[in-house]
Amino acid sequence: MSYGWMGRLLECDLSSGSMRERDTLAYVDAYLGGRVLAARLAWESIPARCDAFAPENRILIMTGPLTGTLAPTSARTIMSAVSPRTYPYPWYTHSTLGGWFGPELKYAGYDGLILHGAAPEPVVLEITDRGARLVEASDLWGADTRTCQLRLKERYGQEAQVLCIGPAGESMIRFATVQHSEENAAGHSGFGGVWGSKRLKAIVVRGTGAVSVADPEALLRETLALGVHQPTPLSANTLPGETYARRRAPVCSQTCTFNCQVAQYRRTADGRRMPAFCIGPVWRAEAGLQATAYEGAGLRVPPTPNFDLATETHLHELCNQLGIDMWFRQVMQPWLIRCRELGVDAIRGHALCPEDATWFEHLMRDLAARRGLGELLGEDLARAMDLLRGELPEELITLGRELEFDFGFPAHREGRFWDEEPLPFWVISAMMHASESRDPTIGAHQSSMHLAYLPLADPETARRQLRRLSERVWGDPEALEPGYENKAPVAIWSQDQHLTIDSLTLCDFAFPQLVRPLGGREAWEQADDILGDLDIDRRLLAAVAGRQLDREALTRIARRGLNLERALLARAGRSRSLEEGLASHFALPCRDDGTRVDAEGYGRLLDEYFAARGWDLERGWPTGETLQGLGLGDVAAELEVLRRQERA
Amino acid sequence: MPSIQRLLADDEACRGCQACTLACALAHEGAAQPGLARLIVSKDMARFEFHIDYCRHCDDPACLAACPAGAMSLDERGVVLIDDALCVRCGACAEACPYNAVCYLADRDRYVKCDLCVGRPEGPLCVALCPVQAMLLTTEEMAR
Repeated sequence: MSYGWMGRLLECDLSSGSMRERDTLAYVDAYLGGRVLAARLAWESIPARCDAFAPENRILIMTGPLTGTLAPTSARTIMSAVSPRTYPYPWYTHSTLGGWFGPELKYAGYDGLILHGAAPEPVVLEITDRGARLVEASDLWGADTRTCQLRLKERYGQEAQVLCIGPAGESMIRFATVQHSEENAAGHSGFGGVWGSKRLKAIVVRGTGAVSVADPEALLRETLALGVHQPTPLSANTLPGETYARRRAPVCSQTCTFNCQVAQYRRTADGRRMPAFCIGPVWRAEAGLQATAYEGAGLRVPPTPNFDLATETHLHELCNQLGIDMWFRQVMQPWLIRCRELGVDAIRGHALCPEDATWFEHLMRDLAARRGLGELLGEDLARAMDLLRGELPEELITLGRELEFDFGFPAHREGRFWDEEPLPFWVISAMMHASESRDPTIGAHQSSMHLAYLPLADPETARRQLRRLSERVWGDPEALEPGYENKAPVAIWSQDQHLTIDSLTLCDFAFPQLVRPLGGREAWEQADDILGDLDIDRRLLAAVAGRQLDREALTRIARRGLNLERALLARAGRSRSLEEGLASHFALPCRDDGTRVDAEGYGRLLDEYFAARGWDLERGWPTGETLQGLGLGDVAAELEVLRRQERA
Repeated sequence: MPSIQRLLADDEACRGCQACTLACALAHEGAAQPGLARLIVSKDMARFEFHIDYCRHCDDPACLAACPAGAMSLDERGVVLIDDALCVRCGACAEACPYNAVCYLADRDRYVKCDLCVGRPEGPLCVALCPVQAMLLTTEEMAR
């Protein structure tokens, strides 16, 4: 009997409908689960330079040993594949989503899914206690994500959990989502289009099995001790007109008992509740919108206007229903407004009216159908800039590229267009942007977002606390001092921690608990030592899986994952020369303190980070020694062949 | 004599996180699966409505009256308990309960119900872990 893991992975060939099971336990010692396990399986099964829409591309949907248990926030599900969104060419990356799907998959007996091939007709993958099969789903093709889920729940019961794509995924736009429940999505990485290319409309799962827990009492004890708290003392989580219970409210995921800032809700026009965090202009007050504007080094990002509440609610829900990554609006609306400011009123014969809600709704529908302007912008902004170069003022092309500077992902956690990150936090983010397969939002929620807001709230208090925290976590009180040097340890620590979290699985808004629960700003200002409990993940794993792994062992697994992801990037052709292209973004002045680096300075950041990781400075690929040290000899051998081919 | 304590659930506050059911299942069955709990949290996605089926610990329990085997008893706290050794698996208690609060665990062939976490002095786990205070422990007077 295995605690934590169900012991089986389900592999489905969508072309033939054949299924086979694989043994999870053959992997868990070295790869644990979730994102690290997915990276290993991707390395073993996705061909080099595989296109995102090729049948050979694999969709990996993974849970971790904690998923489905009471461990707080453990219902996260990892999805990975070669992404159509990554720019300038496809490579392997990941998304994570909350909700209830991952736990239900485990209750049905599986730790994860491996999907490949392409079905001749639209299909739903049905997984129950009785097994798995493909069900013809032409009747669902074209349905929005809410309708699709409701229809499947009618057939399989309300307890069934569904992942599905909307019309945007069917049209294979490059930022189509895979949706679940009302709000959960694998959003950024464009996996909805990969599902569309395989004619996979949905996965419905219903299971009645249980996850075995090694030490139920210990799990209860840990969960009760964590209690309900806000992960950051500065998060404003109170909304006017809400009762106490609702202020302490809602959850976006099974077993989330935290009161984090993601759980900010507002009421929709017809009385339903909608999340109000991380969706930018949808709910932002006018003052907040002004704060999203940016001007520097010849670039202007105009503020994005709000529509009225009912309209914003409608557009928000439409995004979910069409299956479009909500962040498209963070980049496209300001870019379109800037077009108008510079006198560009139409693109390729399509009029631009981004201030008009009805026009914007039509744009969203056109995106989902890949028609009109949606045919062009459905390629995403970064690729659209390539297509429009020479047709538009150069400032617009530059702006479009910088808005999606991170290999086609929307600017985020970079201290310029979006997010408050003074020095040194944006430097830490910059290292993560260069080294990861996608924007490092996940890795940066703790190290950048939760910490970076402290000096912005009170520089002196924060400096005193952060020096002490740095000493204890990184053995260097200077680790978070404003500066450009010796920041790799924090970047690497953040990435390692989050590979661990994504493999267990836990939510990155709550873990690692770098700052202890303080209960509010006053308590924070009076505190000297703000360090939280960094061993919660280890104790939860021990309670659930009965495995006592020390931090070194967990870090080794995390590093295996990151180096595998890096090797997958190398296999796709990515290396330092491409990553140096990110320098232009960090040459823009930081919105908080005006700091920046030139190309040479950015190169030094890469040198420091690559060296600290054990990667070569020429390409930023893991060295043979690094990979061998992690027990990844087969990866080392293939990278050596790639190096020889490149030299030749 | 202390007031009899009762559970009080607020469907409107519930968000379906299942912390209550998972804690209940873990404490009573030692495994993680909401379906092993002594309460049921369900969601109607079409209406975005949640509903909690839970034991009211009735003054005059229909479940107890319906049991033909004498397997149910009332303890000093006013809580109906099931003696599994005496239970004949007829399902009469579950059928009689107007609140859908007696659960049948098919894979274990057992009828189970809320015991207010007997033996846990701090009170029921579902109340302790609810992040939105949708589960409350209250006295009979407060409940009125």
